[in-house]
Amino acid sequence: MRNSFDEKILDEALDWIKTNQKVVLATVIQTWGSSPRQVGSRMIVNENGDFSGSVSGGCVETAVVRECIDLIKENKPCKKIEFKVSNESAWEVGLACGGEIAVYLEQVN
Amino acid sequence: MKLKTLEQIIKNKSSKEEFAIVTNLQNGESHVFEPGKKLTGDFEKFQKEVENFFKSKKNGIIENSDIFVETYIRPIKVIIIGAVHIAQYLVDFAKSLNFEILVIDPRGYFATSQRFPDLKIINRWPDEAFKEIETNENTALIALTHDPKIDDPALQHALNKKFYYIGALGSKKTHQNRCQRLKEAGFTDEQINSIHGPIGIKLGGKSAPEIALSIIAQLVSETYNK
Repeated sequence: MRNSFDEKILDEALDWIKTNQKVVLATVIQTWGSSPRQVGSRMIVNENGDFSGSVSGGCVETAVVRECIDLIKENKPCKKIEFKVSNESAWEVGLACGGEIAVYLEQVN
Repeated sequence: MKLKTLEQIIKNKSSKEEFAIVTNLQNGESHVFEPGKKLTGDFEKFQKEVENFFKSKKNGIIENSDIFVETYIRPIKVIIIGAVHIAQYLVDFAKSLNFEILVIDPRGYFATSQRFPDLKIINRWPDEAFKEIETNENTALIALTHDPKIDDPALQHALNKKFYYIGALGSKKTHQNRCQRLKEAGFTDEQINSIHGPIGIKLGGKSAPEIALSIIAQLVSETYNK
């Protein structure tokens, strides 16, 4: 994947910070098998759970938002989370596509 | 990530300077690496690995470490000949695909900033325009005027400079005539066959945005093949 100079997600992160929001960057750092977004894909989350960008095709974003809010509440600098293949229970968080991804969360401070 | 690192990243991004974000996943410390400069502190011993990621234009974790590298590489230059209707849609598609677009058209009525806001339009003949544009094997050419006076010199330049993608709009017959002219100009069959003509993948559409979509799809596909 080639990161684009025009990709605006980090610019948006800075805009959020300037308006006194707390921001966590969530970045795909590793993938195994077929995962929807490549290494380097990113979303940003604030303390209210508003988010922008993506780390999957909608499969794990909800869980990532929850983890990001926790990170802000607990005031931790960073955390790595992994998502594996989901089983048949549709409500479980996981990647229906059969891939696995590792997402790195970090607060901007 | 520190706020000042984020600000540095935004600065590099807006000035289109190539860089990489290097992050220690253990403690969240990150650093902006610029090619040719030395890494310091914890990152110093990973200089070579970071440079390798940079060369291969990839993102990832350095093997047997907790160092994540994310590279920002200058976009691929795509030169469009002809500030025509299809070009207006191509420019829109290209915005989100990490291509840097330049449009060349010697015809003043076409090459207006009113038709192409926020874009570099070069209102000159291709021969003159190419004197000022750096081109190489990483450049792509999309010829859209199907006017030999304008397209042909650009196609010849692209063939000589070995552009990785060369496409030319026009019917099969137009393309046959074009090939004949290039042959007479001394280009080999191999060179001539490397031109995508008629341009674009087969989608079936005939409207300007549909043709633009078929061209941009072919360009993306060839960019990953190169």
